Amino acid sequence: MKFNIPIGPQHPALKEPISLRMTVEGEVIRDADLRLGYNHRGMEKLAEEKNWTQNIYLVERICGICSHSHATCYVQGVEKLMEIEPPKRGLYIRYLVSELERVHSHLLWLGVAGHEAGFDSFFMYTWRDREVVMDLLEMISGNRVHYAMNTLGGVRRDLDEIQIKKILDGLVVLRQRTEYYFKIGASEPTFVGRLAGVGYLSKEKAIALCACGPTARASGITADVRKDDPQAVYDEVPFDVCTADSCDVLGRTVVRIKELMESYKICEFLLRNLPAGDIAVKAPKKAKPNEVVSRYEAPRGENIHYIRSNGTERPERLKVRAPTLANYPATIEMLKNGFIADIPLIFAAIDPCICCAERTVELVNARSGEETVVRFGDLRKLAGERFAKSPVKRNAVWPF
Amino acid sequence: MAVLKTILYLLVYPGLLFLFVYGTFCEWFDRKVYARLQNRMGPTHTGRWGLLQPVADFFKLMAKEDIVPDAADKPLFTLLPIVGLAVVATAGLLMPLWNPFPEAAGLISFQGDIIVLLYLLSLPTLIAFLAGWSSTNIFSQIGGTRVLTMLFGYEVPLFMAVLSPAILANSWRIAEIGAFYRARPLLLLPNVIGFVVALICVQAKLERTPFDIPHAETEIVGGTFTEYSGKKLAFFRLMTDIELVVSSGLIAAIFLGGFGGSPILAFLQFVVKTLAVIFLLSLIRALTSRIRVDQVVAFAWKTMAPLAVLQLLIVIIIKGLLK
Amino acid sequence: MTDLERLDSLKVALGGDILEITNPARRRIFLTVDRAKIASVLTALRDRLGITYVSTISGLDAGDAFEILYHLAEAAHGNVNVRIKIPKADPHVASVTPVLPGAIFYERELQDMFGLVIDGLPDPRPLITSDDWPAGNYPLRKDWKFERPAEIIPGGKK
Repeated sequence: MKFNIPIGPQHPALKEPISLRMTVEGEVIRDADLRLGYNHRGMEKLAEEKNWTQNIYLVERICGICSHSHATCYVQGVEKLMEIEPPKRGLYIRYLVSELERVHSHLLWLGVAGHEAGFDSFFMYTWRDREVVMDLLEMISGNRVHYAMNTLGGVRRDLDEIQIKKILDGLVVLRQRTEYYFKIGASEPTFVGRLAGVGYLSKEKAIALCACGPTARASGITADVRKDDPQAVYDEVPFDVCTADSCDVLGRTVVRIKELMESYKICEFLLRNLPAGDIAVKAPKKAKPNEVVSRYEAPRGENIHYIRSNGTERPERLKVRAPTLANYPATIEMLKNGFIADIPLIFAAIDPCICCAERTVELVNARSGEETVVRFGDLRKLAGERFAKSPVKRNAVWPF
Repeated sequence: MAVLKTILYLLVYPGLLFLFVYGTFCEWFDRKVYARLQNRMGPTHTGRWGLLQPVADFFKLMAKEDIVPDAADKPLFTLLPIVGLAVVATAGLLMPLWNPFPEAAGLISFQGDIIVLLYLLSLPTLIAFLAGWSSTNIFSQIGGTRVLTMLFGYEVPLFMAVLSPAILANSWRIAEIGAFYRARPLLLLPNVIGFVVALICVQAKLERTPFDIPHAETEIVGGTFTEYSGKKLAFFRLMTDIELVVSSGLIAAIFLGGFGGSPILAFLQFVVKTLAVIFLLSLIRALTSRIRVDQVVAFAWKTMAPLAVLQLLIVIIIKGLLK
Repeated sequence: MTDLERLDSLKVALGGDILEITNPARRRIFLTVDRAKIASVLTALRDRLGITYVSTISGLDAGDAFEILYHLAEAAHGNVNVRIKIPKADPHVASVTPVLPGAIFYERELQDMFGLVIDGLPDPRPLITSDDWPAGNYPLRKDWKFERPAEIIPGGKK
């Protein structure tokens, strides 16, 4: 007996609206169809009406998890169009945030994978430890989701010695926890039994269907934009491309955990070799007519922006391709002949995107459960005090 | 007087009211243990330490809008939650709590009550299947078929595991089995394999991780209960809570020596022993991830059933030696 | 492999099919080919140079013509961008999905956004635009302006 199951546009396994139609026979999926467009916001059209600086903040809002990836990809392209060279310190801080973002994205993914596999304890533990890196990002940029670190010609905030030390301390904690997760992922029998062999994607199929990112690397393809097409600092930093040969969800988990370890290595290298100097240079308002293809390795795979300028302060065309779209054909292939039980896992392997939660001005004491509501004025006073004590020096040349 | 006593018995203790209070308490305990194992706080707000949270959930659901799908089989759809609750509450009456003394046989403690209890515990599974099937939702139907598929896996090992201590005690009456093991505590040790098998099977019967396949929310939304809402869903949740109490009570009565002594002492033993069993069940829930339905059946027949047979063999040999 | 070697290998592989080839930055090669030959060019790139990965396909409304860029990538050959021009009067182009199966979503997106007709596409249904999207509206064309349609509530007041 064949019947159709709709997964989405609203479904507990999906954090964003997308529609999957499954044709199933008993518990086995025979065919899968995909319908996009529920979350289409017309950003490429909108970008043509905004100037170069405004577009940084527009592309940052494409995604709530890899927001820095899109902004970095856009900024490094526009810097080429404007023929400006950001200072070394600015670049180091930019890619430090990139790597920290990769850490938080992969930890988030691990939790989601645990949740989709029905392993909620793993989900709670990884998300608890994700708070460590979220706090670091908040300390660096002041924001938890849209860091707004990038600007044309560098970054907007500098790091001081205390912050560097805090980040290094945080990385030590994260490394310990990640080793623990690696152990769990490799030894907990129900978890391994659930992931192994699920969502098989052979190397040939992965190449033919143009899979990218951890999905491709778990099928044994050593494709990483950071190595193949190194932007800015990546040809100075020592790191390895992580791959796995098992071609299944377990392989994708292993690849992501290994990448976490590599990211810690990169972060430590960037922090220990942070050059002195300015963090940004002034950028012009207009760019000469030209075109550029900017590639960037986002946590989920290759991010590519094609930017065309026409001599005005607005882009002629901004084409954005996020890695998830590249992995859809491979996902359909993986879903075929799988079980219904594997749909969320296979789909989670391309990493669903969750929007940021609004932060409330309500502090709950976890031990006693007492709530203290802080007045907005008090909060502003607190922020002012914190800012007055903050040792961050503003040695940037601000582009206006 | 006898009528009043019976009504009191049915409605207050150990009837509906007691089962409701203790069932919600056990849900709270399970949630709290599960949360603490996951480094969370669990319920904290309603009542002291969040004790009233499951009660609050129940009453909130009772007040919610009750939707019956147009295409559903309406009488069946409406009747099932009530029947389910009645079945598990009846099973709760068979707990040797009120009358734990083997010499005083009566309406609720008789030879063969363990069989009746096991039978009553099988019924909620069928009710869940019917609930899924009668709501005519694709997710519910998949959930319903998964419930039945799982039933074929765990039911036989569970029966074998639970009945082997009874064979050793030479009785089909729960109170007598408990008294037998209280008199000879060392004989509980050979039943350890059966205890583990029964624990895992009860986990599967209660559809808790790693066996929460029929209502795996990331795959088939709400599973069997997708279309249920309001009062009916509240009844189903209460049914699950009471089922948790009854099945952990059964394990405690059979494998942990039952509940002896005066009624108050018996009650305290009941609480301690059922909470110990529920703690173990929560531990399993926190430490494992959901498996697939084919893996459940394979696991049940390749691991659990042979272990249950081994347990039966051990019991028969020991019984021969004792003679 | 240096950029010069990359250019040479491309010239050897494609020969006379290249109308124009530029190398504006490291590992970035832009080449223009005739639109009728796009499938054969991509086949040659795939078979002779092993370039199988299509990053994306960008469309651009350049006044009286569409410019389509096929962004290909390979570890050794860097980023190869194949450009074709399609006159607006005759917006037809052959599908490259039979050559590179991973291109299907990008080609469907092009159809939705620019109103190109991709001939030989295995699955030509709309990908992004909604089911009730009015025909003939192609958002990324320069002359398309968004007008908020009057809101109609089904069963609501007139």
